[in-house]
Amino acid sequence: MMEIAGYLPAIEGEEFAFKTLTFEAKDEKLAVQVPVLTKEQMDKITERIKIASANVLKSLTITEIVQVIDRVIEQLLDRTNPYRQKAEQLLPIITGYDEELVRLGLTAYLKTFRKQNLQRFLVEDFGNPLLIDDFQPRSKRGYSKAIGPNLIVQIWAGNVPALPLWSLISSLLVKSGSIGKVPSAEPLFAGWFAKMIVDVEPKLADCMAVVWWKGGDEEKERHLFQQADVVLAYGGNESLDSIKSRVPITTRFLPFGHKISFGIVSKMSLDSRKSWKTIHHAAYDVIRYDQQGCYSPHVFYVQKGGNVSPREFARLLAHELEGFEKRYPRRALSVEEGASMAEWRQSEELSMYINREKEVLGEVSGAWTVVYADKEGELVPSCLNRVIKVTEINELTEVIPYIDTHRAYLQTVGIASTPNELFALSDLLGKAGVTRITGLGSMTSPEAGWHHDGRCNLLDLVNMVDIEHSAEEYAESLASYVD
Amino acid sequence: MTHEIVDSVLQFLKNESTSDIAFNDQALRLFNYQYKHNLPFQMYCRQKGKTPRMVKTWKDIPAVPINAFKDLTLSCEDPEKAEDIFMTSGTTKGVRGKHFHPTLQVYDNSMLINFNARFMNGYESIRTGILFPTEAEMSNSSLSHYLALAFKHYGTSESRYFVNNEGLQVEQLLAELREVEELGEPYALLGATFSFVHLFEELQTRGKSFNLPKGSRILDTGGFKNKSKELELGAFYTQLSTLLGVEKSNCINMYGMTELSTQFYDSGNEVVPSLKSGPHWIRTRVVNPLTGGEVAKGERGVLVHCDLANFNSVTTILTEDLGIEKEAGFLLLGRVQGAEAKGCSIAVDEFIRAAKGSSL
Repeated sequence: MMEIAGYLPAIEGEEFAFKTLTFEAKDEKLAVQVPVLTKEQMDKITERIKIASANVLKSLTITEIVQVIDRVIEQLLDRTNPYRQKAEQLLPIITGYDEELVRLGLTAYLKTFRKQNLQRFLVEDFGNPLLIDDFQPRSKRGYSKAIGPNLIVQIWAGNVPALPLWSLISSLLVKSGSIGKVPSAEPLFAGWFAKMIVDVEPKLADCMAVVWWKGGDEEKERHLFQQADVVLAYGGNESLDSIKSRVPITTRFLPFGHKISFGIVSKMSLDSRKSWKTIHHAAYDVIRYDQQGCYSPHVFYVQKGGNVSPREFARLLAHELEGFEKRYPRRALSVEEGASMAEWRQSEELSMYINREKEVLGEVSGAWTVVYADKEGELVPSCLNRVIKVTEINELTEVIPYIDTHRAYLQTVGIASTPNELFALSDLLGKAGVTRITGLGSMTSPEAGWHHDGRCNLLDLVNMVDIEHSAEEYAESLASYVD
Repeated sequence: MTHEIVDSVLQFLKNESTSDIAFNDQALRLFNYQYKHNLPFQMYCRQKGKTPRMVKTWKDIPAVPINAFKDLTLSCEDPEKAEDIFMTSGTTKGVRGKHFHPTLQVYDNSMLINFNARFMNGYESIRTGILFPTEAEMSNSSLSHYLALAFKHYGTSESRYFVNNEGLQVEQLLAELREVEELGEPYALLGATFSFVHLFEELQTRGKSFNLPKGSRILDTGGFKNKSKELELGAFYTQLSTLLGVEKSNCINMYGMTELSTQFYDSGNEVVPSLKSGPHWIRTRVVNPLTGGEVAKGERGVLVHCDLANFNSVTTILTEDLGIEKEAGFLLLGRVQGAEAKGCSIAVDEFIRAAKGSSL
């Protein structure tokens, strides 16, 4: 099978080169051609996007833009739509994730971009969504308007299918043109989305480009970043650091780097009636996208004193993971991934000779591993791909010293607790650096308008323009109607 | 018991006409001995459900991950009484792997027999230059012991070392190369791969090259290990042959590990990666690291070596090296690179670095 990825505005007389990326999973092969532009072509496209962003995007109202996005999302939620069908067919091949998990994941994810959610997204950041359309009165007097950039360069990661939608939709909502670089690991979805947007609203044809270049191509990046107002990038901290070095000081850089997430389970959620649900949710957070997301859990802190002890929790979690493995098998691992998992597991096994309370649960093929490590509370990343550590705590607040030193890396906490516990703990977690607290089972599906890594998605992209009261007053004195 | 075991191993090394059955018998004999006397290994086996009752062939012997040499004391004899302890250079978490040798007799025999067969090319001795520190300077290095054996047993009296505490003695080495070039007698240059890379850099800066006499041989080992500029393997051997004038077929790579007592060699590096093989007392399997099961022939996997010269620690180790099984040996594809997380989920190594405060 062959698929052409990416999206480019039509430029007369230009032939674009393509690079072929090949994927193999589920006994199927797929070749994906991604567009690779020369410096001159990139310049032409950049110019065109900047003009279209200023003339076309910024002339549309936010309501119109929301409608275009909503229309596309509606099509993508329709399982008879050809793009949706293509996504369901091809994404499992390129990502290796289970077909059913991809399908369910897509639906849940896409739902967060329906009209009502987008409106919430806007209100969340701007208070008044009209701020992006026109000057709006401020309570302190004067007026303000949010001006989106003309060009956002976006560098996406490929750990979760369709991930680029967050930033692509955000840039549309602030009326900004985009040039996005697709990851080699999932080069398809962003291009499809751009094409669908243009199908729904042909006026937007010149407002986006979805391309590819080899990561770390310094010359290309340096040149492109020179022309961007904002550079937004997802990835490992090392690659982000290197990208940052090429972004001019006058250009805003928004990095979304490595994060670590974990779960907290109160004994209140572990009575005989509720525990099965708690454990099911915990396992679900582990299996979704095989822990490749920044919001995926690495450790579960389980409180002692419930009907189910932390050790039993670990065993039941293992059982649940085995159940999920039958229904939604983990993707096949490369030799490298297998080796790093084996190494992780072996070092846990070897440490059992020192800590006799420890248990390493897993079956021969290594499709999942649960390590019960009683009092080893320190927050340490697992090697991913359905490997989780369960550790016991007496009080929920005991978690804080374990995570305190990792402040810069903390992101999501999935909690199963009572309301009182939730609010008391959330305050402490927030102070420790956690930016998202969610119910167990929802760790991998953030709400629309979430503050990704504690930031305002839309607000971070725009510049505010203020008309101060004095200007207004001054103007009034010069009006033609002045008496 | 030790004497008996040592004698039986030495006998096995000497005996050239060994069969599959003999290899198996000897492996099981060592397994039973190690299971009995090496308690951490016994615990490891029990946990894997591999007791002497369950282990029927050498392939059933549990492969011990090389990291276990860091975490456990793997020795049948009192480690305090070891004649020598070889330590790994890798210091993940600041811990070095230890390999205890109650006697060096077996290691030395294993090295000498094999080196003679695979490197000496029929010579009884050869003038040798060593690009690695001496044993006195690196007392726990198995490689410095290995090179010292080659130096003592197969080097002529003019042989010498060209690395000391200050590093590579470039001037002396260049003078030596000039001398042997003029004398026209075959020369052997042995050392760590990264030492050769330093030599290349020196030669290139000075615009120099040599044409070592016919019959000269080079042995490199150890790979680049982040100690020098990474060179692509093909480029490395091309430089060896153009800068020193030794044909690629006479550039031998030795693949060994602190955790083993036997080395693997190739028969030259005209084609890379080259085919590696060992003597009759070591066998290699290529496995799926997660399941431990052998991969289909021709597929990539992780190497497991069963080394019957490892009489005191464990015979069978699980490496972190990638390879492909071939008819007459295996292709070594380098170390398994830690799989990096594809997106924003943090990789373990980076997290540990960050926690230590040494991150970017």
